Amino acid sequence: MPPSQAQNVDGAGDRSKRVLLIFSESRDLPGNVIMEQAVRAELTRGATNRIEFYTENVDASRFPNPRHLRLFRDYLASKYAAQPPDLVMLFLAREFSSAQELLAGLGSNCPTVFVAVNDLDVPDALPDRPFTGILQRFDVPGTVKFIFQLQPETRRVVVIGGSSAADAALLHKIQETARALDGVTFEYWTNRPLNEIYSAARALPLDTVIMVGTIQRTDSLQPIFTSQVVQLLAPAASVPVYVLGNGLIGSGAVGGSVVNFEDLGASAGRLGLRALAANPLARMPVEIKSNGTPMADWRALQRWHINAGRLPPNCVIRYRPQSLWHDYWPLFLLLTVGLFAQAVTIAALLVQRKRQQRAEAEILRQRTELAHVSRVSMMGQLASALTHELNQPLGAILRNAEAAEVYLQSDQPDLKEVRAILTDICRDDKRAGNVIDRMRSLFKRQKLTLGALDLRDLVEDTIAMARPDALQRRVRLKVEIPPRLPPAQGDRVHVQQVMLNLIFNGMDAMDKTPPAGRLLTVALVESPHGNLRVSVSDCGTGIAPGDAARIFEPFFSTKSNGMGMGLAISKTIIETHGGEIWVTSCAMEGTTFTFLLPPAGSDKVRPGDLPANP
Amino acid sequence: MTATNSKRSGTVYIVDDDASFLRSLSRLLTALGYAVEAYASAQDFFARPAPDRPGCVVADLQMPDINGLQLQDQLRRSSEPLPVIFLTGQGDIPSTVSAMRSGAEDFLTKRAPQQELLDAVERALARDAHQRQQRTRQRELSLRFDELSGREKEVLSHVVRGRMNKQIAADLNINLRTVKLHRTNITRKLNVQSVAELTRMVDESGFFQAPEND
Repeated sequence: MPPSQAQNVDGAGDRSKRVLLIFSESRDLPGNVIMEQAVRAELTRGATNRIEFYTENVDASRFPNPRHLRLFRDYLASKYAAQPPDLVMLFLAREFSSAQELLAGLGSNCPTVFVAVNDLDVPDALPDRPFTGILQRFDVPGTVKFIFQLQPETRRVVVIGGSSAADAALLHKIQETARALDGVTFEYWTNRPLNEIYSAARALPLDTVIMVGTIQRTDSLQPIFTSQVVQLLAPAASVPVYVLGNGLIGSGAVGGSVVNFEDLGASAGRLGLRALAANPLARMPVEIKSNGTPMADWRALQRWHINAGRLPPNCVIRYRPQSLWHDYWPLFLLLTVGLFAQAVTIAALLVQRKRQQRAEAEILRQRTELAHVSRVSMMGQLASALTHELNQPLGAILRNAEAAEVYLQSDQPDLKEVRAILTDICRDDKRAGNVIDRMRSLFKRQKLTLGALDLRDLVEDTIAMARPDALQRRVRLKVEIPPRLPPAQGDRVHVQQVMLNLIFNGMDAMDKTPPAGRLLTVALVESPHGNLRVSVSDCGTGIAPGDAARIFEPFFSTKSNGMGMGLAISKTIIETHGGEIWVTSCAMEGTTFTFLLPPAGSDKVRPGDLPANP
Repeated sequence: MTATNSKRSGTVYIVDDDASFLRSLSRLLTALGYAVEAYASAQDFFARPAPDRPGCVVADLQMPDINGLQLQDQLRRSSEPLPVIFLTGQGDIPSTVSAMRSGAEDFLTKRAPQQELLDAVERALARDAHQRQQRTRQRELSLRFDELSGREKEVLSHVVRGRMNKQIAADLNINLRTVKLHRTNITRKLNVQSVAELTRMVDESGFFQAPEND
């Protein structure tokens, strides 16, 4: 042995340290991957020198021929002769005997740290070299406890294991644990072909769970890895699958009190550091760990509807979707701020809209009020007509009653005539009642209620109201209504108010027209686009072109006694109906006011019926 | 009651476009013993066969086409100007004033008390009877005046103005004897005894007023 190199370990602080990691099985087994990472991290973090890692894997299970092991020993010896490692770390899954063989090829005073995960006996005789390590046991009692914590209803545990020596050692331990349990059946599927296990696992009853031990060899002595078995069984089994190593979590297993390979790797790394620092390893006894870390796969818990509240308090939960806040808090913060700003804006807009609505409601109320006042003032104009309309039937009633009195005083009263009189009296009473009803609706202070409106009926009613006035003013009234007319959308009283207003205006406009020429025409028609068009035409003097533009403005009047509100209110009423009103006038020929109302069911007139130049 | 103790002479013509009122008033007046004829319009009224019979018209003031006042105008110009009583549903001051101004003699609302209505009808019938009498007398007088020669009418016009015979002779440039002869002829043809009677008759006939008034 060239002592120089070994001696250099202490002194040469600047030389990088060579650490050889040897895996007895495949290096890429889940447990090995986790451990290697932990070891590398621990060594890199703790070492004063730069660490150079070398890795070898023996893959002993898949190449069980002892010749291979010897070849590997020779290979190592040859390969590392010129650059002997300063530390060997040995990751063992099985018997220590193979370790002896392997190390024989490397320098005898090279410190060696092993990590073994199995339930085999601690070897009596350790290699004759600086040698120590960690022997990690599977936490079988912990896992069994874990199972019953999660699924207390379990009555049967199917244990799946392999046939290697390490597998057998673990099974033995499980059997020992099982013996202490009452009321639970343990079943061992160790000598069954994998495909049979697979099929059986898919049909297990609900009170059963599967616990997977280690499988290094199948019944047919084929090498296999536990991870392969779990990956195959866990997703397909009809019951939850529990495991003993954390490398197996993620492949569909629920969990268990597992070997924590991260912790294990870290502990091994710390041991390695001590070896590199030239602490005499010989004095360090092999560390035996039997603890397990309760660990569960969140997704599997969800899949089997296992209440996560049953997990032990220190349980590590894997694959739980991290709260999004955890991952994206800046984005969330930004979003929250954004949303808040948006909410404030929306709230402000809502408040504004509310105010606007209130203002609009107020305007509508005022308009309704104004329309009412205007209607009542228009009633003044109608008052003499009203008197006439009422005196007509009342006078007839009076004369009829007087006549009846005379008849009844005769010796042989003409009862037939008296009966006819009474019939007439009743009819005239109704007539007077109708007049009052018609007028009263105009007096009522009521809200605008839009609905289907029969314009024919309305026009006839309105003409009846205007007729006495027209008679007195010697104006002939003409009504043009087509035989078929669909209903409009409108409020009866308000539309009638507009009609009356236009009719009175038309009659006013003809005051200076010779009586023979005083003709007022009210025409109803369904427009080409389905709106209802009402026009009121007079044969008056017409409107001066300059006045036509302002005629709908409030307080604009060409009459000496006009207030100038009638047309302004009419326009407001029609526009509230979603309609349009306009005027066409021809000097010395007359004026026509036209308004459009939407058909019943629409809230706005359909476009297209407006004059080209309203 | 009124109906029984006075059977009136003359027909009451009712003209109203309101069918119901027309019927009711006809009933009442018929029951009270009047001869009644009812018409729905002025046109219908004028189209009736018109025998020379005493009577009066009760017309609605407001009617389409020909209203009450127009009816009165037309009637006044006819050969048989019957008195008109106006009825109105209105009864307010402006329409009353306007109707009165237009020559309505009697003016009642349709709901006027029965007695007012009957008084008005009675008055109108009396007026018609009186006017009729006057018209008969006038016709009779005008027949008599028609017998006078042109010169006699000329002399008469001076006589009724109170001119003396000499003055008349000078005015007409004829001699006094001729004037006296004319006067004798006039008193004979007109069958009057005195100048006072002659003057009254001329007044009554409106003989010299009619042309001047037109």
